[in-house]
Amino acid sequence: MSHEDIISKLHPLERKVLPLLEQGISFDTLLAKATSMKEIELMRALQWLENKKVIDLKVDIKEVVDLDENGKNYLAEGLPERRLLSQVKKNTKVADIDITKDELSAALGILRKKAAITIEKKSEGLFLSITPAGEKSLQKESLEESFLKKLPIELKDLKDEDKFALESLKQRKRIIKTDIRKIRTIFLTSVGKEIVLKDLKKVSSSIDRLDPAMLQTSSWKNKSFRKFDVSINVPKIIAGRRQPYLEFLNDIKRKLVGLGFKEMTGPLIESEFYNFDVLFQPQNHPARTWTDTYHLKYPTHGILPDKKIVNAVKSAHENGGSTGSTGWHYNWNPEIAKQLMPRAHGTALSGRQMAKGIKIPAKYFGIARCYRPDVLDATHLIEFNQMEGFVADDTINFKTLLGMLKQFAIEIAGATEVRFYPDYYPFTEPSVQISAKHPKLGWIELGGAGIFRPELTEALGIKVPVMAWGLGIDRLAMFKLGINDIRYLFSSDLKWLREVKLV
Amino acid sequence: MPKLDISYKDLKQLFGRDISIRELEEESLLFIKGEFDGIDNDTLKVDCKETNRPDLWSTEGIARQLKGNHGIEKGIPQFKLKPSGIKVKVEKGMEKIRPYIVAAVARDIKITEDLLIQMIQLQEKVCLTYGRKRREAAIGIYDLDKLSPPIFYKAVAPDGIKFIPLESDKLMTPREILQRHPKGIEYSHLLESFQKYPIVMDSKNEVASMPPVINSDYTGKVTDKTKNLFIEVTGLDKGVVMTALNVVVAALSDRGAKLESVEIDYPDARVISPNFTPKKAKISISYINKISGLNLKNSEIKILLEKARYNVKITNNIVELEYPSYRQDIMHPVDIVEDIIIAYGYNSIEPIIPEISTVGDLDEFEVFAEKVRNLLPGVGAQELLNFTLTNKDMLFKKMNLEESEIVEIANPVSALWSSLRNWNIPSLLEFFTKNVSQEYPQQIYEVGDSVIIDQKAETHTKTIKRLAWAEINADTNYTKARQVLDYVLRSLGISDYTVEDAEHNSFISGRVGCVLIKGRKVAYIGEIHPQVLDNFNLKMPVSAFELNLTDLYEILE
Repeated sequence: MSHEDIISKLHPLERKVLPLLEQGISFDTLLAKATSMKEIELMRALQWLENKKVIDLKVDIKEVVDLDENGKNYLAEGLPERRLLSQVKKNTKVADIDITKDELSAALGILRKKAAITIEKKSEGLFLSITPAGEKSLQKESLEESFLKKLPIELKDLKDEDKFALESLKQRKRIIKTDIRKIRTIFLTSVGKEIVLKDLKKVSSSIDRLDPAMLQTSSWKNKSFRKFDVSINVPKIIAGRRQPYLEFLNDIKRKLVGLGFKEMTGPLIESEFYNFDVLFQPQNHPARTWTDTYHLKYPTHGILPDKKIVNAVKSAHENGGSTGSTGWHYNWNPEIAKQLMPRAHGTALSGRQMAKGIKIPAKYFGIARCYRPDVLDATHLIEFNQMEGFVADDTINFKTLLGMLKQFAIEIAGATEVRFYPDYYPFTEPSVQISAKHPKLGWIELGGAGIFRPELTEALGIKVPVMAWGLGIDRLAMFKLGINDIRYLFSSDLKWLREVKLV
Repeated sequence: MPKLDISYKDLKQLFGRDISIRELEEESLLFIKGEFDGIDNDTLKVDCKETNRPDLWSTEGIARQLKGNHGIEKGIPQFKLKPSGIKVKVEKGMEKIRPYIVAAVARDIKITEDLLIQMIQLQEKVCLTYGRKRREAAIGIYDLDKLSPPIFYKAVAPDGIKFIPLESDKLMTPREILQRHPKGIEYSHLLESFQKYPIVMDSKNEVASMPPVINSDYTGKVTDKTKNLFIEVTGLDKGVVMTALNVVVAALSDRGAKLESVEIDYPDARVISPNFTPKKAKISISYINKISGLNLKNSEIKILLEKARYNVKITNNIVELEYPSYRQDIMHPVDIVEDIIIAYGYNSIEPIIPEISTVGDLDEFEVFAEKVRNLLPGVGAQELLNFTLTNKDMLFKKMNLEESEIVEIANPVSALWSSLRNWNIPSLLEFFTKNVSQEYPQQIYEVGDSVIIDQKAETHTKTIKRLAWAEINADTNYTKARQVLDYVLRSLGISDYTVEDAEHNSFISGRVGCVLIKGRKVAYIGEIHPQVLDNFNLKMPVSAFELNLTDLYEILE
């Protein structure tokens, strides 16, 4: 590109900056000189000039320790331990000391470590007494205090005693922070050196911006437009978008509707009746215990449905009802069934739907928010979505169950191969677990399925076989969204949400 | 799901043939619903999914099942049993504490390391899973030669006897054991409510155990010097204790022990245990083929059932079956059908896509909610998905509100997630807190569920779907929130709504409104109170609204 070419493409901001440039000038100095420009404008102009190879922007990174919010206050009014200690005499009642609760516990810990105070617990509360060591420490400035006065300071300039103070202050809430600061210096390139000498005004008579007045008066005719550098980077736009995991789920919902499934929904708080009893899961089943499921402190009990259903479920559990099953041989307790809990699994939805009554043939699916006592980490969620469903028809058998699962694996998970494993669920027999071979992920456990036990379906008045399925789609979602941390499905990271690739 | 450690060498020995790890993983373990979890030296890790068949939870049981499936043996497994002449006398009153006991003798046993490991593992898994953490079945195994029969099963007062329990060297009373011994503390809840505790002792008053808590150190320790074993199971259901005993002694028999039965004398009944009398069942060929879809011939069904270790007789398309007494999982013919399909091999089946013609559809309310969701990106808002679990602090204290009734978890894992949210704006403010360093303006929304108390409802709660919208920015204000809400309502065809002055402590007084449609309150809208912003550590103004979509949908209907 010739110099003229470059000059013709210069943006008004670039034109403003160019005359101010000197070899090796720092960004801050330049900003002070460019009085009519905002910082962001200056930055953009420099970046464009760099793109045009007129200047080199050199960036040095400095790590600087500075005061954080609490640190600023403490510098003015003193660290909590000093303020506390200065109020302690002999047998000073803690309640009488002027200090906030948060500061108190931190300060007590520090002073006790330094043996600056003794603590006594009496019936009227805690009492503090200052020790000789405490008296002494009041007289002199601590390492932490002298360190705070030095801030801001560059990390590489820290002395040993500073490092000690830094470590101890880092443990405490918002006293100090480490900032990364960029120091920018501008150097003119050989092209730049020549261009700054040229008269920029001479070539700046072209039209910079087409405005409505020009169009009304046709004054644009016979004039030229300033050339733009179309290869330039522009600032990102912030737009509103849908949540990517919900979009993934929508995609799967569409596929299931396409396969003829109707959506079912249900409440987040369920009775044990729908969570377990309707599903023929005995009341002493290990999965119903306190450690495996949440229980409620309030409200504790709900109301059971229609007596007819309740009695049918009761006899299915106790003696198999009219199915020819032996049942589980125990006294079914309606009080246990009334207990409330957050929905434990998606099958509760299927139980509810079947209890409501269905028309054969029936195909249903649901995406159910479920809850299990777990900690939140990269592989566990405290609540999660399960995708569940069932098909009721007289033609259902184990072969068609496998057929449906294979169809799911191919259509929904994009699998190329499937394998089936015998499995156990209290509410299905026969039961199967399906693994699917995904072209990129390899073999993944896709879900569990089976034919609902007759004790379950017949108690709800359903006379045909019902096949039930549940798909674990979160791994697939994670793969599609390119994440390794499952928490991102419920992401609280705005930057990620704004920038993640759509699925 | 019992996770088992199996010695590969031991398994091959009991199975009677060589078998590769690959064959086990891909085929054989499927017969026991086992998932291969890896191998460490000689130890195979197997996760047995079958929680109702304790007979599969040992190397012996797995080998026994596989011998059938691989055609090494067929039909019901055989166990030899002769009477020991030993009696267990059950005292009156036990029926109110821990009613049932069964027992057996295993003689001439060679205690090897493999046997000991498997015996202990099986005992643990049976008591934990099948015995519901010992409540319904607790197993005691003793050195028979240290006991002087007859054996007594009786109740004693908490301080009525002393013995040295396992893992201790002190004489302790039952009360002391429940208070101080680690096992006593762990299982004390199973006995606490009783006046007297169960004890198994011999005719010389030597204590064998205090079920279901602990054995005595003297009789209840099995070492490589032990030759003859006495095994008892106590519990609450006679079927469950017998199954547990049958499972344990069958495994010992597979290792060459000579089994002998014991007579249990209840005050009003007599039981001989163990009981290997086969159980019987009937199933029709047509039912098998209806559920399996496999169209099997009678002869094929016979072979498959024999592989699954049943004795089979087919007459007039009715299958008469005998199966081992330790199988308590067979409740209905469908359980037998599954055994047939497993023996056939799940992966040998050609899947058929069902041809059932139905019209699919989304839930109507979900469709409505989805319409709302799709509106908000148009105003530049980012959609969120938040957890519904939160805590009272977040919902009330930080929001400047008095506490009201909400759903609370009785056994939260963390205090942070101890309640279900009853509105959604707190989740949005929490989100802002986590993103203070991101670029502004930040405009976010969520259409999500919350739960309120509703005493009239079947679950005493009502799940409410709400749209919450919020913007944090230096110049956000009531007008912005109102514009967005107006856009949403107009897009849904609602123009006749009114906004009235409202009192709501989460918002700035005088800048909060309540939105009414046909006289019903459907939303709150306003500028968030600076105290609330401070509580969330936010240094910039926020405007927000929350619209009840559940009610709105009802109104529009």
